[in-house]
Amino acid sequence: MMQEVLRLENLQKSFGSVRALKNASLTLKEGEVVALLGDNGAGKSTLIKAISGVFPIDRGDIYVRGKKVSIRSTREAMDLGIETIHQDTSLAPDLSIARNLFLGREPVNLKWLGVFAPLDLAKLRDAASALLKRVGISKKLDANALVSTLSGGERQSIAISRAMQFAAKVIILDEPTNNLGVEETHGVLRFVKEMRAAGHSVLLITHNIHHVFEVADRIIIMRRGEIVAEQTVADTDLLTVESLITGADLSALMKRA
Amino acid sequence: MVQQVMVQQVGAVISEDGAGRAKGRSSLMRSPQFSSFVILIVLLVVFAVADGNFLSPLNISNMMAFLPELGIIALGMTLLLTAGEFDLSVGAVFALAPVVVMLLVQNAGIDIGVALFAGLLLCIAIGAINGVIVTKIGISSFLVTLSMLLIVRGAALYITQGFPLKSWDQPGFFVTLLAGSFNIGAFRFYTSLWWFIGLSLLAVYVLHYAKLGNWISAIGSNRNAAVARGVPADAVKIWLFVLTSVLAGLAGMISAFRISAASPVAGTGYELEVIAMVVVGGTALTGGRGTILGTIVGALMLRAIRNGIVLVGVPGLAYNIFVGVIILAMLILHALLQKNAARS
Ligand SMILES: Nc1ncnc2c1ncn2[C@@H]1O[C@H](COP(=O)(O)OP(=O)(O)OP(=O)(O)O)[C@@H](O)[C@H]1O
Ligand SMILES: [Mg+2]
Repeated sequence: MMQEVLRLENLQKSFGSVRALKNASLTLKEGEVVALLGDNGAGKSTLIKAISGVFPIDRGDIYVRGKKVSIRSTREAMDLGIETIHQDTSLAPDLSIARNLFLGREPVNLKWLGVFAPLDLAKLRDAASALLKRVGISKKLDANALVSTLSGGERQSIAISRAMQFAAKVIILDEPTNNLGVEETHGVLRFVKEMRAAGHSVLLITHNIHHVFEVADRIIIMRRGEIVAEQTVADTDLLTVESLITGADLSALMKRA
Repeated sequence: MVQQVMVQQVGAVISEDGAGRAKGRSSLMRSPQFSSFVILIVLLVVFAVADGNFLSPLNISNMMAFLPELGIIALGMTLLLTAGEFDLSVGAVFALAPVVVMLLVQNAGIDIGVALFAGLLLCIAIGAINGVIVTKIGISSFLVTLSMLLIVRGAALYITQGFPLKSWDQPGFFVTLLAGSFNIGAFRFYTSLWWFIGLSLLAVYVLHYAKLGNWISAIGSNRNAAVARGVPADAVKIWLFVLTSVLAGLAGMISAFRISAASPVAGTGYELEVIAMVVVGGTALTGGRGTILGTIVGALMLRAIRNGIVLVGVPGLAYNIFVGVIILAMLILHALLQKNAARS
């Protein structure tokens, strides 16, 4: 029943002499929330950037629903149903909220005009306002407001609403609760649960282990570019996960104390 | 599922709409192109009061003859600046295109239509080279187009041996098309004004209403964000470099046909004058925020200043002092307005 949606096999990526990703493999199933954990610089962002087409991988295979694919651009990743919210924020500050929500997938009239097609401004504004209301992870925002006038948390909320809107198969969130207040953080976690309930798969990167235990089904831990452990949330505990992330045996330490 | 919810909520959203629009109106009053427009009016009034001839049909006709030539280039430059790049080679292309076209016609005996087509290809090539080096090799557009300025200007000087080409006095279809003139009452206008008006409308449409405009602003505002949304940022930039080069060549042809001569030193310094028009109009030099209406106001303003200070009797060698001071004042005003808007 739980069908495989995304499978990565032996992904490798180097930046010059830095081997950011060495042989990373993982599987993501339908309706599953997988948390990707690891210390700063472990290679988490690099891994998800490779999946979302930000840069090409050096070696390795990517399968979407069992079919081997090559993702050469962000557009191709989006077309395969992979939506990503990057850690280094992904909005254009000089554009309005509405224009950001639909960036790259603008509703237009006269579609045959291609890139010269006129934007359907009414639809853009209305859909944006409706979406902001539905997400509810933020106070009322005017869809015409420029993103440069928003707080960091509000921007994050906008980026998340955008991923929701296209109802992608795989939603990747790179530290989505950074900069968020209490209310917005719960909004994000609620969103993750909602997405799972609707059958989407979520790959969640975070440094907050409490959040992981709240929403995730499975945990994958990375260290220095490699996947070092994989656990189901039901069969593990906070201490074990923390020690796996740092590489030190914390639980042994605790017992001794 | 999401779509259904959206449709249900559209009704509820309409009530908020009025408030949103009212806000839009007050922000228009504070927008840079609006303040530029007010200053343009002030300048026109000052010049008109200082010298009765400023608004005479002859003088207005004169201003309108020059306006399109720099204005057309400024339209392309606005789009390019909005995408976060600029082009210093436009003044040189303005000279090289007509020089090459007229050499082909006069020395090689090639048909004017074919020669114009060759000129067009040349401009496309120059723009494409600028764009490809900037985007694919990743050198700043300042350095790339500065080098291109030297190459293109050098080429124009070399192939003409530094001399203006002998005058072009054969009227024909293309001359009428680009530099024909007509009278409306006491005013004498050139067809180039129609080109400018038409291209302006097109540019307003593309930048503010078309999908492409959304991409251009997004690229200039945050390139990585645009790329992450599947916007082909490099391709858009390359095409904008091509467009700007082609418009510079077109402006050069218009000018050469109007004065019936092609000079290898034509358009010297135009690159900076054009960039001044664009930023005075309110387009941000750093990208992301562009306004075609502002550029039109900026083009009118620089034209009016250059024309007005002559009539008012400023000594010739002091022109640039005034032009520089007025540009600086405009930019300070924009910066202050921007600060205020951010605070409120
Ligand atoms: N574009 C790049 N060029 C060079 N090195 C890079 C680049 N991107 C990442 N790296 C390096 O690759 C390694 C992994 O980085 P990555 O961003 O994937 O870490 P991360 O796990 O997301 O860390 P964090 O939790 O701090 O976000 C780091 O050593 C980083 O310095
Ligand atoms: Mg990261």
